Amino acid sequence: MTIGVLDPSNERHAAQARLAERTVSLRGKTVGFISNGKEGTEGYFKHLDYMLRKQLGVGDVVWRTKSNYSAPAEAEIVDEIKKWHAVVAGVGD
Amino acid sequence: MAPPIVTTHEQPTRKPPLTSKVYDVADFSAAQELFHSNGWTDGLPVVPPTRPAVEACLDWAAMVPEQLLGVEPVREQPITAEKVAINAVMAGCLPMHFPVVATALQAMLQEEYLLHGVTSSTGGCAALIVINGPIRLEIGANATFNALGNSDRATSVIGRAVRLALINLMDVRPGGIDRSTLGHPGKFSYCLAEDEEDTIWEPLSVVRGLPLGASAVTVMAAMAPRQIMNEWTTDPKEILETFAAEMRANQLNYSIYGGNYAIIIPKQLREPIQAAGWKKRDISEFLYERARVRRGDWATVGKGSVVRDRADKIHPALQSPEHLLVIAAGGPAGGFGAVIAPWMGSKTKAVTAAIGACVDCASPKT
Repeated sequence: MTIGVLDPSNERHAAQARLAERTVSLRGKTVGFISNGKEGTEGYFKHLDYMLRKQLGVGDVVWRTKSNYSAPAEAEIVDEIKKWHAVVAGVGD
Repeated sequence: MAPPIVTTHEQPTRKPPLTSKVYDVADFSAAQELFHSNGWTDGLPVVPPTRPAVEACLDWAAMVPEQLLGVEPVREQPITAEKVAINAVMAGCLPMHFPVVATALQAMLQEEYLLHGVTSSTGGCAALIVINGPIRLEIGANATFNALGNSDRATSVIGRAVRLALINLMDVRPGGIDRSTLGHPGKFSYCLAEDEEDTIWEPLSVVRGLPLGASAVTVMAAMAPRQIMNEWTTDPKEILETFAAEMRANQLNYSIYGGNYAIIIPKQLREPIQAAGWKKRDISEFLYERARVRRGDWATVGKGSVVRDRADKIHPALQSPEHLLVIAAGGPAGGFGAVIAPWMGSKTKAVTAAIGACVDCASPKT
């Protein structure tokens, strides 16, 4: 005789977001940084900014920082993403 | 003579069906392997969640399977009563424990608790669950000996059920959503009841705005308990200075920022405080004043690089006296209290919710 046991996982998955179109080249494009604001992000993003501009020809780099490093970015920041060609969400402990 | 025809407008009661997928397993051992291999446990054995056991939980709480307890705020995962009941059964809950589990999760799904942040942080906190009101006695939640440990069945399984629900319903698995560097043992179960029968103080839930006599849970994103000991005075101020020192130590060694702190005061320490006429409010005001550090003191514990030009800035451990949760609990002897620090300042807030009430119908006390 078998035992019937119920699946404890959340079988209903949240609505999936659609991925934005991939950019082929970063040359001349705008890249946004969304930092969680921790100490470790500063050096990381500073160097990445340098690499993107000098080595990959990125046109502009926009820096934004969340007010709460453990919460999603504010709506104003999320709205800005539409203006960028790529975004880097950084975590630095 | 023909019997009278009896008519009725009552419809036969039909339970809404459970909709979770069912796995047929050979026996108890096979059930364990199924659950462990799918990452559905906390590493300990689980009670196989059968349909009758899950239905019994829902019946006890008068909930239908599809009842929405809340929505995980970042990834928008719906959390239903059926799924929470499955995890409660796995944790070892009896039906009478289920309303406490459901209410604790509803409280944790309130925006101010910041569920995603506290469950994903490297900081590694756990949900401290404090039970107040008559339900403590109904379910046999012990508030005395070993109050913060394996004190009784009810608090053990309720705390564990909340953890299993986080794992299975919100993917809060180590290395998944849960990015804790260390975590702490409270992540298995972190639940206690307040010893309302052996104190003259108001219960925590009443201090936080609920009516006396209502059953309630308070949830707080909390670090591990830090025990203090002072058996050499009956002066309330001296006793509370020991708690204040532990809070200051946490500010320097863990996080300097103010938020909710919980303190557990056992009988041996609370009796002299009560005898001196101090109420919970007096304790909160005293610790609000005494538990604070200079930012410059960070330099004494190796954090001088982040003092910068703000050495004289004063950081209180509590943003206000109301941010302290004072809990009467513990065995009858021993001058051992505990300070339970918040995960990270005020980014998360403790939430108190009544059991059996709609938490979305009125603003919970934060």
